[in-house]
Amino acid sequence: MDFAKLKEQLRPLAILEDVVAEETADVEVEQEEGAADLDAQSVPEPQQLPAINEVDHQAKGFDLDVKVEADKVVEAAKILDEQGFFLEAVTGVDWLKENQLEVVYDYCMWQPQCRVVIRTRLDRENPVIPTISAVIPGANWHERETHDFFGIKFSGHPNLIPILLPEDSDFHPLLKDFKVNE
Amino acid sequence: MESQSLQPSIVQFAPLDKLLALGRANSLWPMTFGLACCAIEMMATGASRFDLSRFGAEVFRPSPRQCDVMIVAGTINHKMAPAVKTLYDQMPEPKWVIAMGNCAISGGPFAFPGQYAVVEGADKFLPVDVYIPGCPPRPEALIEGILELEEKITGSRRWPRVKCE
Amino acid sequence: MNKAAIDNQETFVLNLGPQHPATHGVLRVKLTMDGEYIVHAEPVLGYIHRMHEKMAENRTWAQYMPNTGRMDYLSALSYNHGYAAVVERAMGIEVPERAEYLRVITVELNRISSHLVWFGAFILDLGGFTPLLYAFDDREKILDLLESVTGSRLTYCYFRFGGVYNDIDENFVDGTREFIKTMRKSIPMYHDLVTKNIILMKRLNDIGPISKETIRKYGATGPVARGSGIDYDVRKNEPYSIYPEFDFDVPVYHEGDSMARYMVRMDEIEQSMRIIEQALDKLPDGPVMVAKAPKIIKPPKGDYYQAVEAARGSFGIRMVSDGTNKAYRLKLRSPTFSNLSLFSEACEGMLLPDALALMGSLDLVIPEIDR
Repeated sequence: MDFAKLKEQLRPLAILEDVVAEETADVEVEQEEGAADLDAQSVPEPQQLPAINEVDHQAKGFDLDVKVEADKVVEAAKILDEQGFFLEAVTGVDWLKENQLEVVYDYCMWQPQCRVVIRTRLDRENPVIPTISAVIPGANWHERETHDFFGIKFSGHPNLIPILLPEDSDFHPLLKDFKVNE
Repeated sequence: MESQSLQPSIVQFAPLDKLLALGRANSLWPMTFGLACCAIEMMATGASRFDLSRFGAEVFRPSPRQCDVMIVAGTINHKMAPAVKTLYDQMPEPKWVIAMGNCAISGGPFAFPGQYAVVEGADKFLPVDVYIPGCPPRPEALIEGILELEEKITGSRRWPRVKCE
Repeated sequence: MNKAAIDNQETFVLNLGPQHPATHGVLRVKLTMDGEYIVHAEPVLGYIHRMHEKMAENRTWAQYMPNTGRMDYLSALSYNHGYAAVVERAMGIEVPERAEYLRVITVELNRISSHLVWFGAFILDLGGFTPLLYAFDDREKILDLLESVTGSRLTYCYFRFGGVYNDIDENFVDGTREFIKTMRKSIPMYHDLVTKNIILMKRLNDIGPISKETIRKYGATGPVARGSGIDYDVRKNEPYSIYPEFDFDVPVYHEGDSMARYMVRMDEIEQSMRIIEQALDKLPDGPVMVAKAPKIIKPPKGDYYQAVEAARGSFGIRMVSDGTNKAYRLKLRSPTFSNLSLFSEACEGMLLPDALALMGSLDLVIPEIDR
């Protein structure tokens, strides 16, 4: 598996996010040291870079972190599946303050060791995301569980019924504003 | 399933009742109803070191129609509770229930404010005869529970009580 | 075969209910049967769902440690290890060397006891009652050793953030060496009496073949993957703790049938004993808890991942922390969840007793699936 090639394949899928590029700001300051131009030392312009980052495995536990749009997860799953990754888990995180739900896909490789995390954010009022269970059958149960806990709808899923909660349940317990009805 | 109320017999023989109670108490047939971690301690009690068959309770029958006592070992869920009730109703009289472990007594470590899935104790919907605390209770505790049940059935205890120092 | 059975024959639905002696917990499988052959199997879960992930958000980091012992109660120390390791990774806590050695010794002892329970229960499913008693007898020796150091027999809560809470003494070391000697005599007996038994060989050889591609597509790990020729063990591929110090093999069999998975676990018992012997020989002196253990656990913001090799596969924890003293989100990736998800594809067209042999060889612990 070629790590650099994998990054190149995943780069077009990543969303663009604002990154304050501090290295280029320092270079500009050094070049214009002679000129008494104070504008170069003010807040540098944020750049738009694709959100694909190599992560220190020792510090975080995974190797590559990619943020994608919701409709790109199937393509990302196809790329990783062709490279030989397997799906470890699909889960969600409820960001109540930002009014968003995050879906996180963990992929891992047998040899050589590599962990890739694909994340996407959905609107909390209407969380819909395409299913990857056509590409990776193992995602079937993981997506059912995420739907159980967060109410995220996976469009195109063959069997989106509760898996861990009772079959007739209509509540989503892991949402931060979930209250038990007595 | 509704349980029918039993008519008491018109003629009662006290020595016969005592004999039947002695027989029932010393040959309790438990049902294999291990739900979670306590099930492993129940299996260990039936294995050769702690040996539940010394007390007659070795024959673990999977079918509820052939058992006397249901040892509820493990946490009961809202999803599982109807199945537990059905199994209890399928057992023939006379029958007893032992609640083994903290989860079967009161929900155990899984009862926290705001919980949505766990039934807090088997006695919410079953008549429990003996409670065995512990998480999980030691096999000796389960044996003591069986002996307590025997005392409840016969009225007297045949085995010596262990003195705690 | 399935289509024809559904179109031409009459199929009926058999409920392998939540209460069944061979499902190792409360698993329900809806089987669509054509006579004795399975046309479609659909596992139904959730009968022991105990809200572990919700509880993580209601408990402080340290209060959650007992929960990790109750998920997969047969190898509870591996789960303790995964949870302690992920929080230590987030907070940058360095565990002293003696504590790491104690962690490895106790985890490997736990692995042996978990495989012994699997061995007894698996042969019980296939109809043999006696190996269960022998396996539980050997297991009691391990439980005595672990009880003397951790205090519990089954659901351990021995690890702390920064080490372990209790040190071992000479009795433990001597007892463990004694146990390894007796176990090294028992394993050949098991192989002679059980593995080479013609009935077991007929029931396990070529039953339930699972291909490498199926394993990869469903994300199965552990002995299930190693029985199909995949050389993946988190202790070797993504080393954590001090496993790199030890010299041990990872048993891999290529046939992919139930007998291969059975042999992987039996060989793993021997490899665990090798690790324990090396750890006891090399055990250093020192503290068992980090000197400045943090009193209040507040991991920095962000998300972290840690995988450990539990007895059933790769157990992963993904933690999301928001800097407070409770977890924001704790995802527990249980190995048996992924292992069981391939059951419905793998058992199509099989006879019902063969499907039960396949299910037993997957080594299921249902509370771990339902969390």
